[in-house]
Amino acid sequence: MFRRIAVGLIFFTVSGVFAQDKATLSGYVRDAADGEALIGASVYVRSISAGTVTNVYGFYSLTLPAGTYDVEISYVGYVRSEKTVSLSQNQRLDAELVSQQQQLQEVVVIAPSDLSPVQSVEMSVNKVDMNTIVRMPAFLGEVDVIRSIQQLPGVATVGEGASGFNVRGGNVGQNLILLDEASVYNASHMLGFFSVFNPDAVKDVKLYKGAIPAQFGGRISSLLDVRMKEGNAKEFEVNGGIGTVFSRLAAEGPLLKNRGSFIVAGRRSYIDILARPFVDVLREGARLNFYDLTGKLNYNINDRNRVFLSGYSGRDIFFFDKQQGFSWGNNTATLRWNSILNDRLFANFSAIYSKYDYNLQFGEDNLDYFRWQSSISNYTVKPAFSYFINANNEVTFGGEANYYTFEPANAKGASNGETVDVSLEKKYNLEAAVYVGNNLRITNRFSVEYGMRYSYFWGFGPGSQYRYNDTVPGVRRTPVEELRYSEGEVLASYGNWEPRLALNLQLNSVSSLKASYMRLAQYLHLISNTTASNPLDVWTPTSINIKPEVGQQVALGYFRSLGKNRSYEFSVETYYRTAANQIDYIDGADLLINEFLEGDLLSGEGRAYGMELYLQKKQGRFTGWLAYTLSRSELKVVGINKGNWYPARYDQLHNLKATGFYELTKRWSLSANFTVLSGTPTTFPTSRYVIQGILIPYNADGTRNNVRIPVFHRLDISARLEGRNTKRNGRVRKNADYWMFGLYNVYARKNPFSIYFAQEDGRYPSGTPVPSQARQLSVIGTIVPAISYNFHF
Amino acid sequence: MKTVKNYFNSILMIIMVLAMAACETEIFPTLPDAEPVLVVDAWVTNKEEPQVVRLMMTQPYFENLTPPGVTGATVSIEGSDGSFYLFGESNVEEGVYTWEPAPGDSFGQSGVTYTLRIAKGVEQYTATTAMGRVPPIDSITFRIEKGNDLVDDLYLAEFWAVDPIEAGDTYWIKAYKNGILLNKPSEISLAYDAGFSRGGNFSGINFIAPIRRSINPFEQDANNRLKSPYVVGDSVYVEIHSLSEASFDFLTQVVVQTNRPGGFSELFSTPLANVSSNIRNISPGDKRVVGFFNVAAVSGSGRKFKSLDEVSNK
Repeated sequence: MFRRIAVGLIFFTVSGVFAQDKATLSGYVRDAADGEALIGASVYVRSISAGTVTNVYGFYSLTLPAGTYDVEISYVGYVRSEKTVSLSQNQRLDAELVSQQQQLQEVVVIAPSDLSPVQSVEMSVNKVDMNTIVRMPAFLGEVDVIRSIQQLPGVATVGEGASGFNVRGGNVGQNLILLDEASVYNASHMLGFFSVFNPDAVKDVKLYKGAIPAQFGGRISSLLDVRMKEGNAKEFEVNGGIGTVFSRLAAEGPLLKNRGSFIVAGRRSYIDILARPFVDVLREGARLNFYDLTGKLNYNINDRNRVFLSGYSGRDIFFFDKQQGFSWGNNTATLRWNSILNDRLFANFSAIYSKYDYNLQFGEDNLDYFRWQSSISNYTVKPAFSYFINANNEVTFGGEANYYTFEPANAKGASNGETVDVSLEKKYNLEAAVYVGNNLRITNRFSVEYGMRYSYFWGFGPGSQYRYNDTVPGVRRTPVEELRYSEGEVLASYGNWEPRLALNLQLNSVSSLKASYMRLAQYLHLISNTTASNPLDVWTPTSINIKPEVGQQVALGYFRSLGKNRSYEFSVETYYRTAANQIDYIDGADLLINEFLEGDLLSGEGRAYGMELYLQKKQGRFTGWLAYTLSRSELKVVGINKGNWYPARYDQLHNLKATGFYELTKRWSLSANFTVLSGTPTTFPTSRYVIQGILIPYNADGTRNNVRIPVFHRLDISARLEGRNTKRNGRVRKNADYWMFGLYNVYARKNPFSIYFAQEDGRYPSGTPVPSQARQLSVIGTIVPAISYNFHF
Repeated sequence: MKTVKNYFNSILMIIMVLAMAACETEIFPTLPDAEPVLVVDAWVTNKEEPQVVRLMMTQPYFENLTPPGVTGATVSIEGSDGSFYLFGESNVEEGVYTWEPAPGDSFGQSGVTYTLRIAKGVEQYTATTAMGRVPPIDSITFRIEKGNDLVDDLYLAEFWAVDPIEAGDTYWIKAYKNGILLNKPSEISLAYDAGFSRGGNFSGINFIAPIRRSINPFEQDANNRLKSPYVVGDSVYVEIHSLSEASFDFLTQVVVQTNRPGGFSELFSTPLANVSSNIRNISPGDKRVVGFFNVAAVSGSGRKFKSLDEVSNK
């Protein structure tokens, strides 16, 4: 049925094209300084109110009736370019825009992009450009992509210092994080304090909290689409810096007679190097560091074909000595080929590899040891096509196939010389999807983007899976039958239709109403029962016991541009989200190296609803945004909280964030973040009892997350000092540099992360009372200053 | 995977020292009132000493008093081999019910299933468990862990025992230093066969190193420096108690709920939840009950750390 609709749709839209004498204007929009493609730049013809925006490769295609037009090309933060085009046949028009900063930072008043959020059908999306991210106050002065998006509306976390983020009630494992299309399974360094994205190599960050287009799928909550820089195509440049935690260096420049460019960027923590002369253990083999290396190459085969190769490799290493320790990291590689098949048909073919692995070993000799490796890896191919039928109609279609290999444990132990292999079998899976989407402007006032994705998932042998007995919910289920599969035999398979819909009703030139619906399926599950996820968390595939998670969301929004020059953007969105087959855990679940893991899992549902207010000022000496979210995120799992709805650990009724930037002088600029969050829920006991001398907390009501920890609020500030741009003798410096000074948690508030209950330290003989206590933990209970020096030449 | 967690925590501690100081404060929240519930602490062993079943009531969480004992109950244990043990109420301590073996006798037999019966007024409670088996402790040795600039030389005790063939044995290893039981939540040492958890296939071999060395108390001196667990002159006594699989799961949950070192490790804690119980109320009333019943076979061995010559350099 669906196929018929899709074919009919394409036929219908394509046939409309030939009715009139039309021609296509297409090309790339780039930054004039370094040749970087500009994502989402607007290409607009005012006289007929027709326009489009560039795609993630900076490409646009606009089909118009033949005629002469003034084409305005604009992008936030760049000087608008206007070109007169006499369009009689298909024509290529590449444009380069000059950034406002390059205009010697004079205050230039630039009319905003004509295709503002008010016009586009896109909703529930926040885009943060790197220029903004590097100016935000950062913990320990380390610019961080994921910390930055935590300042956006609709984004919460379980608490300060925790890795990952929660979007509209989704858990950390329900976010799809893509780095140049490669899935990043664990986006944290140092257990969550920093993310794996090197700011020197990132171009653009876009967070989809809802209305995710049909071309994406695989996680049910959100999509964080991180795009890497292509590298300066005009001249060689080096950027670097020394911060509190990392030292960084990046080089980029043109390649092969300006037909391509490259960027390579590395970061490494360096405290271990500084400490080495003073700490014996570091000289004797202990290692404590983390690093990442990001690189990208691109090459223009001709003006219609371009290839990109990008990769990431990062690792965290904690070793107490030569043999004992723990390390983890991601590796990704993406090969892409952009092809303009014709002026209206843009294609991209991607081949992607991604792997996350960790390695843990202890034991000082070969008689007694434990060595464990675990990994998840995937190979993906992804053809994607955009067909620009006319200025009001774009069809996207394509597919995706992911082949996954899970290695839950490749583990060996030895006890007094006897070795035992405790490895678990690998799991093999294929997730495939096809999609078609259509972005259609039906009238000047009404646009719609609709799409359908169909995804299918297979688990393959060789391998075993188990059937488990039914028992009281919340109690471990034990295997009753082992099912054995030979190579290639299908263990389990599931398919899901994933419709997407977004509507925009333009109320007037400055305001619009939007609505959206999406349904997504998730076949990979992050197994994590700790407050914050940690590097040992494993991903596990859908099976006969674990059903695919299904998320649905409806959202309704009002968008408005405000002020002279439309320098403010305001939006309010409300949403309602449900999640089915969400994974939870029995009490005392054994999640690591457990062949019968699935017997320890529970299945539940989630729901979240809320309202997000967002006011952003994009232009002028003072810029910034105010984000307020009023929301509820709840879970319902048979076997937890007596089967009733209970708030998720990251549920925050009020979530207010303000981020501001102020240009004080040409050299000094200031920024600040202020955050106020309702206390997250936690579980308090009512009573206590003693078994064998151990004090056990008891919650007589059997409830989960029945109490709130106190309110969280924090102010961070930072100042940026640009180096002089002239030398003492008055000549203009070729190099540029700047200092960042920061204070995190300015008023040193001891913000609670959690409250826990424990017996007081000590040994209490049988028959004597065991004293109990409650303790409140602040992860960062003090002011944290930071300084970093950054250079560019 | 307790050690994994322990190692993980020590990594976290290193990071903490290097990166920042978390801070903790004791707080005194008001907790809701709750109806007291019967607590059964019935951990019976085959040691040649009086066996005790304690009946108590739960207390408000912050009530730091000896739990109120429950008097006037009838407590007995019946074996599947026809054995019967009546636990008499103590007239010294409230809520204590004891059974004393005749000289040379002890409680129970490995492989036999035991049923605990408690009657208090109209309420009747019951629990069933089987007594497991336990390997003998072959020896106890001392080893040195050479110090560095962060820690001094540490002397660790290690016990040697071989888990019997055939998987599925579970144990609680208890250690006494100079006669004092190491009973902090962080010192609860559990074994599934010779390893940490089920499915590990560590059966029929020596207990793995982290379990063999789990009999060492780690404490800091006044200057926050780690003290050697044992020094010359100390004695160590080790017992292996057999557990039922349900008791193993219970104690695993107890460790999760009670071993809260605090600090950064709280980021990776799991929610507070009630631990399991194998005691059931079989009377028509619906009075709740918590606690656990286990019958353990016990093996034990001790050694005094007489001189540094006893230390192996392995």
